[in-house]
Amino acid sequence: MDKKTVANIAHLSRLKLNNENEDRITSDLENIIKFVDQLNDVNVEDIAPLTSPLEKTAKTRSDEVTARNRKDVFLDRAPKSNEDYFLVPRVVE
Amino acid sequence: MSIQYKTISELRSMLDAKKISSKEIVEETFNLIERNSDLNAFITLNKDAAIAKSIEIENSSVKSSLHGIPIAQKDLFCTKDLRTTCGSNILSNFIPPYSATVIENLENAGCISVGKTNMDEFAMGSSNETSFFGGVVNPWGDKLVPGGSSGGSASAVAAGIVPAATGTDTGGSIRQPASLCGITGLKPTYGRISRWGMIAFASSLDQAGPMARTAEDCAIMLNEMCSHDTKDTTSLSEDIPDFTKELNASIKGLKIGIVKEFDMSKLDDNVVSIFEESKKHYESLGAEFVEVSLPNISLSVPAYYVVAPAECSSNLSRFDGVKFGQRSENPINLEELYIKTRSEGFGDEVKRRILIGSYVLSAGFYDAYYKKAQQVRRLIKNDFDSAFKEVDVIMSPTTRGAAFKAGSKGSDPIQMYLEDLFTIPANLAGLPAMSIPNGMVDNKPIGLQLIGNFLDEKRILQVAHSFQKSTDWHLKTPEGNKLS
Repeated sequence: MDKKTVANIAHLSRLKLNNENEDRITSDLENIIKFVDQLNDVNVEDIAPLTSPLEKTAKTRSDEVTARNRKDVFLDRAPKSNEDYFLVPRVVE
Repeated sequence: MSIQYKTISELRSMLDAKKISSKEIVEETFNLIERNSDLNAFITLNKDAAIAKSIEIENSSVKSSLHGIPIAQKDLFCTKDLRTTCGSNILSNFIPPYSATVIENLENAGCISVGKTNMDEFAMGSSNETSFFGGVVNPWGDKLVPGGSSGGSASAVAAGIVPAATGTDTGGSIRQPASLCGITGLKPTYGRISRWGMIAFASSLDQAGPMARTAEDCAIMLNEMCSHDTKDTTSLSEDIPDFTKELNASIKGLKIGIVKEFDMSKLDDNVVSIFEESKKHYESLGAEFVEVSLPNISLSVPAYYVVAPAECSSNLSRFDGVKFGQRSENPINLEELYIKTRSEGFGDEVKRRILIGSYVLSAGFYDAYYKKAQQVRRLIKNDFDSAFKEVDVIMSPTTRGAAFKAGSKGSDPIQMYLEDLFTIPANLAGLPAMSIPNGMVDNKPIGLQLIGNFLDEKRILQVAHSFQKSTDWHLKTPEGNKLS
């Protein structure tokens, strides 16, 4: 785990580390990765991954509209919106 | 009339006998909150709405199980029109337009939500020190942490402010603070309680549950919290029993498993001797102890610290400053809006976990970490499946020691992660587990963990209740008064 790797995963995570915490976070991440490397001590050949404790197919429901249009309620809570849209900085120049 | 330290059952009797009105209970609860404001257990109070509901309830003829009972809600559950922060700056202005299913269930049963309790940011922490709103104080001692992440809920119940509170448990966040605060906490089977409206941390591990003074009150709460919810596809459709029925069943002949691989040498000596005393007590009640082997259990914490950050990095990608929550001022473009909002909005522990998650999910590392951790997760679940063929419940200490001083774990995150050594396995396997007070170390409470088989909450509640009927650890209070 070097600064370049950390810069890359920080970008993937849309996070910016400042100079102050960059060194500490890099060494923390290195220690955490070393710690989880214990997983290499066990043989997992032919073991199927367990993604959820409930190994069931997700339930389905009848195809009926249950949602109400609550546009105003949601737009009202947005940091910036007009009557129809969430507003963000210009994307297309 | 004092309501401090009263249980749900006691408040119910007082209300039914008309010794107190629900409005008086609510007003007295807010007095208790104010008198204990140093605990910093609450982030947001719900005073006006709570008093209004107490008056409404007094005039209503419908009587349900939690009618007029004050409950504190962890600030991770969305509450309609009541600020919900998840302990984070990024949600410090968030007012949800809806309530979580579990909140609706409790409120439909007549409970009065008095406020939102402090917690580690996004439930990531074991001491409540990562909250944007400051740490919570454990009523058992100056500068002691309450544990985490449900630290505010645990502290509020331990101080006798409310008889019960909601918590959530992803790796021990109900049981570890319950242990450190001397209260009773239950994490149900994964899927028992709907996760709809719970702010997600690690979706395959998160589960809500009750925190209270007694197993009996946890059963009363659990009865209302569980439901079949079409809004959560992982909500179980299995029958929901009445958890309060058969609480008094005898545990004669019960087989309790002791895990061979749990390394007691890493524990405080007092914790080990208290654990041995609890075993003797259960033997005197007719239970039998059997050693069980969970060969892969030592890999629980490393597996958890791959699976949980991976799910967290995905779940927390929704916080981008566009639709709700805080947004950074004056970004020059959309990319910078995301980056600045998230960098300013999240604290260091949350950032660490998002980064670990992005790393273990990134191309080239996915198989080595994420897939491998999920394979180990299956081995751990298989270990439990075999053990439960031999025993009815599995017992261990809940924590390695009693509550510690804030700041004392130093800056090494792994030391904090090991706090959840005994609690994480039940989350990985999706099993129900609870913590009950079973002794004191230097005047600080510690807890005993009971892990049940899938859907077997009823059994661990019986086992806990039988202990509480014949011991008084759960009746001790931080003020030194023993309740009778």
